[in-house]
Amino acid sequence: MSDTILETHDLTKKFGALTANDEISLSVERGSIHGVIGPNGSGKTTFFNTLTGMHQPDGGTITFDGTDITGWKPYKIARRGLGRTFQIVSPFKNMTVRQNLLAAKSGGTNKQKQADEILEFLEIDHLADDDASDMSGGQKKLLELGRVLMLDPDCILLDEPTAGVNPALEQRILDHLSEINDDGTTFLIVEHDMNVIQNVVDRVSVFDQGKHIVEGSFDEVTDDKRVREAYLGSADDEEVPI
Amino acid sequence: MSDTETDSVRERFRSLLDQANNRLVAGGVIAVLLILPVALNTFWTRIAVGALMWIGLAQSWNMIGGYAGYLDFGHGAYFGIGAFATAITMTTYELPFIVGLAVAAAVCATISLGVGIPTLRLKGAYFAIATWAFAESMHELALILDITGGTFGMSLPTGADAIIIPFPGPPTEMFFYYVMLALAVGTTILAYVLFERSEFGFRVKAVRDNEDAAQSLGINAERIKRQVYVLSCSIAGLFGGANAFYITFIHPNDVLDALITDQMIIMALLGGLGTIAGPIVGGLAIFMLDRMSSLFLGTSTLYLSMIGLLIMLTVLFAPSGIIGVLRGEVGITDVKDNVSELADKFNFTR
Repeated sequence: MSDTILETHDLTKKFGALTANDEISLSVERGSIHGVIGPNGSGKTTFFNTLTGMHQPDGGTITFDGTDITGWKPYKIARRGLGRTFQIVSPFKNMTVRQNLLAAKSGGTNKQKQADEILEFLEIDHLADDDASDMSGGQKKLLELGRVLMLDPDCILLDEPTAGVNPALEQRILDHLSEINDDGTTFLIVEHDMNVIQNVVDRVSVFDQGKHIVEGSFDEVTDDKRVREAYLGSADDEEVPI
Repeated sequence: MSDTETDSVRERFRSLLDQANNRLVAGGVIAVLLILPVALNTFWTRIAVGALMWIGLAQSWNMIGGYAGYLDFGHGAYFGIGAFATAITMTTYELPFIVGLAVAAAVCATISLGVGIPTLRLKGAYFAIATWAFAESMHELALILDITGGTFGMSLPTGADAIIIPFPGPPTEMFFYYVMLALAVGTTILAYVLFERSEFGFRVKAVRDNEDAAQSLGINAERIKRQVYVLSCSIAGLFGGANAFYITFIHPNDVLDALITDQMIIMALLGGLGTIAGPIVGGLAIFMLDRMSSLFLGTSTLYLSMIGLLIMLTVLFAPSGIIGVLRGEVGITDVKDNVSELADKFNFTR
């Protein structure tokens, strides 16, 4: 029997006349890496923001680890074990890398030790006492991941974890994701890079114009007519631009 | 040991040495301040009392303004509220000065909590306008209420029975020096420990830099902003109370003057926002400029013009203040960047 960690039912978010998320029902299996793809403006980031309490939904429910978290405040959702990163990384300024991690709320008793272990795991421990603003784009992505890990989360939502990162560091980020995933942490990933999606995720959900149109394995969804329509605007026999 | 390990050990040693040095310097400064009144005549003791008060006030504003990034234009109201709370406690209820101070802090904490809950939901200029309006309303209210003496103001008792601390005789200049010293040093140490050395401080800065990211890390942003606001306002109230007893007569037009808030902001800004040394340097510089200009030039309007010029120069060329200049963070040519850096600090949307 599959075990669902995160589930939405008819989740709807409107901005005035625009329905950014239109009755989205989606289930994420515990321990899996679930991808969310779709053209620009299809509602992926809005979905993440609604899941994590940044937006209040206009309808539907969100269940996380057996608890209805619909309408919860963002910090409560984070403390419950649903972490997230952002499309645009922003380390906290005038603070060292280690202090960035220590700012996070953590259930652990020895936060210093926990922070140092995470930095070592992510191989950025040599930067621990450096100003976080001086890091490279890829290092900032790792720092952001490190901050979320301080929460000891059961599930992490990643918004474009490899965007703007050089290929060497991109591979390192993906390796770390796999390792964290092997330890039982679930991931829900928004990503534009189809190679990443193909190589990393177990299942893929496709969004188009605020709707969850298809779900399946990578090969299943790329073969789907609706997905081709979403990306190309017609059901021509052309390749999905991946 | 590898090179990197040697470097890291060396760095740790250096940072320990720095810390020890900082403590030594701070300890030395406090020791000098403790024995300073012996060497000063009444005139200079009076100057020192004022300087300590303004350093402490700037430090208190820097908590909400510099560390939390909220441009509080109503902070001076708590200085006035603290003054009247102390005055009412000491005259109407005939209680000792120390009780007056405690009441001042408690009243300011309560009012700032009530004001903070709705206003801290606002950002940037909207928060500045809301708090400024609150301060103005407090000024007007104090002018019409009986309990504050209305337009007549209030006189405080000057007798020795107004104190319960073991100071023989009526309160002297030296007594107030030590009261202000205790408050200013206490505020500075508290600010250092809370904002530079504790996880609480990291969270405050996290909320200032990116509230959404902070919340996604389990930080209750609303609560942490309220805590900083209440703390900083209560401290302003303590200084207001101490100052009221010091000057023995208070009037809404003096202790609830908008200029009090302006001075605190300018001091923190000129010294360096969100740093511990900033309000000390800025507070001392502006206060001495004020005193010296009235001493040698005999006019206060020239002082205001000089302040205006200083604000312009700071905003345009040195958004991190004197401390930033000392650290080498000056961009004479990057005027646009400098201005937007400040705007970002206060969450102004452009």
